[in-house]
Amino acid sequence: MKGIASTIGKFILQTKLFWGLAALYLVGIFSSPVNRKGLNIFLEPGNQSDVLRQVSNNGIIAVGMTLVILTGGIDLSVGSMMALGSVVCAMLLTQEGWTNASLLAIPILAFVCIFLCAYLVPLIAINVHRGSAKPVERASSRVRWFGIVLGIILAMLAVWWTVGQLKTKFGVIGVLVAVPAVGLVFGALNGLIITKGKMQPFIVTLAMMVAILGIARLLGGSNMAVHPVYTGTNATEDFDILRALLFQVIPVPGIFFLIAVLVFGFVLKVSTFGRYIYAIGGNEQAARLAGIHVDQLKIAVFAISGMLASTAGVLYTAQYRQGKPDAGSGAELDAIAAVVIGGTNLMGGRGSMTGTLVGVLIFGFLGNILQLRNIDSNTQLVLKGGIILAAVLLQEGQLGVLWKQIRAYFKVVEPSRAIGAQSRQIEEVRK
Amino acid sequence: MFSPNEQTESPNHPALQMRGISKCFGPTLVLKKVDIDLRSGEIHALMGENGAGKTTLMKIAAGLIDDFEGDIFVEGKPHRMTSPRDAARAGIAMIQQELSLVPELAVDENIFLGQEKVRSLFFVDREQQVRAAREVLRPLDFHGRIDLPVAKLRVGEQQLVEVAKALVAKARILIMDEPTSALSINESERLFQVIRKLAKEGVAIVYISHRMEEVFAVADTVTVLRDGQHIGTLSAKVASRREIIRMMVGRELQEMIASGKSETTTQKPVLEVQDLWLENPSPTAARPLLVQNVSFTVAGGEVLGLAGLLGAGRTETLEVLFGLHSGTSGGHVRIEGKDVHLLNPVAAKAAGMALVTEDRKRDGLVLGAGIDRNAELAVLRTIAAFGLVSTEGEVELAARTIRDLGIQASGPRQLAGTLSGGNQQKLVIGKWLLTRPRVLLLDEPTRGIDVGAKAEIYRLIGTLAEQGLAIVLVTSELPELTLLSDRILVLREGRPTALLNRAQFSHETILEFASPGGSVQPAFAEMEVAQ
Repeated sequence: MKGIASTIGKFILQTKLFWGLAALYLVGIFSSPVNRKGLNIFLEPGNQSDVLRQVSNNGIIAVGMTLVILTGGIDLSVGSMMALGSVVCAMLLTQEGWTNASLLAIPILAFVCIFLCAYLVPLIAINVHRGSAKPVERASSRVRWFGIVLGIILAMLAVWWTVGQLKTKFGVIGVLVAVPAVGLVFGALNGLIITKGKMQPFIVTLAMMVAILGIARLLGGSNMAVHPVYTGTNATEDFDILRALLFQVIPVPGIFFLIAVLVFGFVLKVSTFGRYIYAIGGNEQAARLAGIHVDQLKIAVFAISGMLASTAGVLYTAQYRQGKPDAGSGAELDAIAAVVIGGTNLMGGRGSMTGTLVGVLIFGFLGNILQLRNIDSNTQLVLKGGIILAAVLLQEGQLGVLWKQIRAYFKVVEPSRAIGAQSRQIEEVRK
Repeated sequence: MFSPNEQTESPNHPALQMRGISKCFGPTLVLKKVDIDLRSGEIHALMGENGAGKTTLMKIAAGLIDDFEGDIFVEGKPHRMTSPRDAARAGIAMIQQELSLVPELAVDENIFLGQEKVRSLFFVDREQQVRAAREVLRPLDFHGRIDLPVAKLRVGEQQLVEVAKALVAKARILIMDEPTSALSINESERLFQVIRKLAKEGVAIVYISHRMEEVFAVADTVTVLRDGQHIGTLSAKVASRREIIRMMVGRELQEMIASGKSETTTQKPVLEVQDLWLENPSPTAARPLLVQNVSFTVAGGEVLGLAGLLGAGRTETLEVLFGLHSGTSGGHVRIEGKDVHLLNPVAAKAAGMALVTEDRKRDGLVLGAGIDRNAELAVLRTIAAFGLVSTEGEVELAARTIRDLGIQASGPRQLAGTLSGGNQQKLVIGKWLLTRPRVLLLDEPTRGIDVGAKAEIYRLIGTLAEQGLAIVLVTSELPELTLLSDRILVLREGRPTALLNRAQFSHETILEFASPGGSVQPAFAEMEVAQ
């Protein structure tokens, strides 16, 4: 009996995150107002799909943030990265010819094509085999040349295609290729400065957050406020797909979010890349000494974070029909909060993508419930802050220790009446 | 063993009493209900193997660890130390093995740190401070300059500054953790005189050490700990060396020696090292090079020991070989005739080197991950295809490591942090053996592990040497070094001073070559002249 009870107890403890989400969901159902038809507004498909759409931007950023935090780092530049993404996206969509945005995006795209092929092809080549005792450290020069040539061909194709699009403005595929490439490069720059300059991720990404925001505003030109996107009039209609609802319930941005969770959750679980991320966060020095390319991996992680954040910028543009340099203010903090609520340790090495998914949903449903109850937005902020603290306190499981320390603080050391006697006793033992 | 008349001062109230002290780090119990009494004017040696709990016990007394079970009485009154400040108020000072001076501050500033002599408001009166510092340092036989940053002082002098700091704090109980591990013979002797003088003035002194000679030279009382337990307290006058060793080790030493390495295998050199050097990262320090002129060869099946005092550059030598100081180090290294670029651990691993670091928790293991995740770390790519890790391969690697190294664990998923010290060390070694290295660099492989595990590690080193690995061993425990090594290279302040073969092994010889001011073998002396 006891065994069963403890197994159940352990199960509940391990899945407490889901129970938290479930409890919040129940609160949502019971606290929700009822509409004229007598239906629970919270449970309406429209409301549920709204929540998914609202969280998807934060969610996509949080996926990248999870990777960064698992290595023990932090990325504060994602908000600006998202803003940059939205501005570049909107400009590519609405302005033809060589604008600031296309001047930035097309060379970067070409560079990314060359670099990724030159880097990834040899990497794949040396990772094909399994079972050999000594792994190959360097691919043969033929493979490396193949990678470079393939990259150049791809880059030329990409340039030919995108320059062709310049005459007619970019379509949805165009921005979905070009904008993430921009984020990837800026993210990699973060990683490069952090690893090669041996600087704190906090400082570097803070500086980048400011700098990228400036770049986003400069790109936008004099009316830096907004670039409205009207599909059908000043932009191609196919861009509307990014704000569509599939089967009338599933928002497309939500699909992007779920795909990101699935892909990177899978990568974390079963790939060498994922193992290395956990190892670096768990003990960077041990990982380095085990002959792992710690610096390269960190750069890759920051690059992925940047790429996902700028992709979120594209989705932002689709959702709000505008590209705005101020789009992402505070986005980094929301993402960090969601990751942390999901149980990922800020010190690195511990956490999961499932946790982040749940964290993002908790954050989203909470906002939704408060909104349905018509709670003042400033009160909402206070409540959200409280929820973050409570969630982390529960996650880290330090409540017991805290309680013990409080008790120890108030506990008076009992004065032993028989110190003299005790001392004498010990003397006798010594003799 | 104590005659009551030996303790004339306040017989009922020892300066410090610790009763039933227990402490765990995670699941490992490092102290089990330990009792100890310290008396004023007494030099109390606290002995035990590495990891016996000596330092932990004294850290509790000094308020550096506040989360423990048991009671502490100062002068008979219960007193629970919650911080070093608290302990200082109770008259307890501890000089830790890694000195806690601020390197950029001058001697007097260090001595009066936190209680500066002020002129008015908060302006420090340097003159008065220097004068006061000189006053405190005079009886300590200190010859260095007081207005220089302590980083410029020799370790022995730094130690005296620490003592002065404790005196200024009016410490009635002074705890010294292995104070001589970085000192030359003369400096140690000087320190002993200071200790005796202090004891005569009524300070209770705890002297943590595992060096038998020192303990017999200074201590009045000896307490032995083993595996966190109080084994016994004896008077140093009546105790015998043999008895203390038996108490420390728990069995006769012979048994362990029998499991040592058998004979030298003379093959062609596997590792050849020439003119290794390493820059000192702090440009103001007295020595611009931490390692210089270090050259040696190690044959397959041979164990080369590196001897030296703390700070002699032994660990640094291994680190340079493993590519951890690229840019600030250099030298010619060949493995099996092939040149090795001292670039980074990736290159070192590819060249067939493996490094088992001094601090396995800090540098060796991912403590929050399982045995399997740690074992596979250096060879993950061999069990993966297209970047995806094979589960079977993973299980197989973990099982093999656990079986081959004899790791005691509940299963391959057990977290590395919850293993005992010995098993952690086996895991680190096992992780590296999976890479099939040609050269194994071992830095303090038995630090902080219990006696049984030590014997196993010794046997393992013997077996690995027999399999033809070239092994470089660094250890501070001289008996271990002489037991396991085929030859010993002695380093002093970053330079080699002697290369000894088995016939020349003796603790006296090694210490002679290791101590500053000691002798240098002719071959190495010439090299220095040539410089």
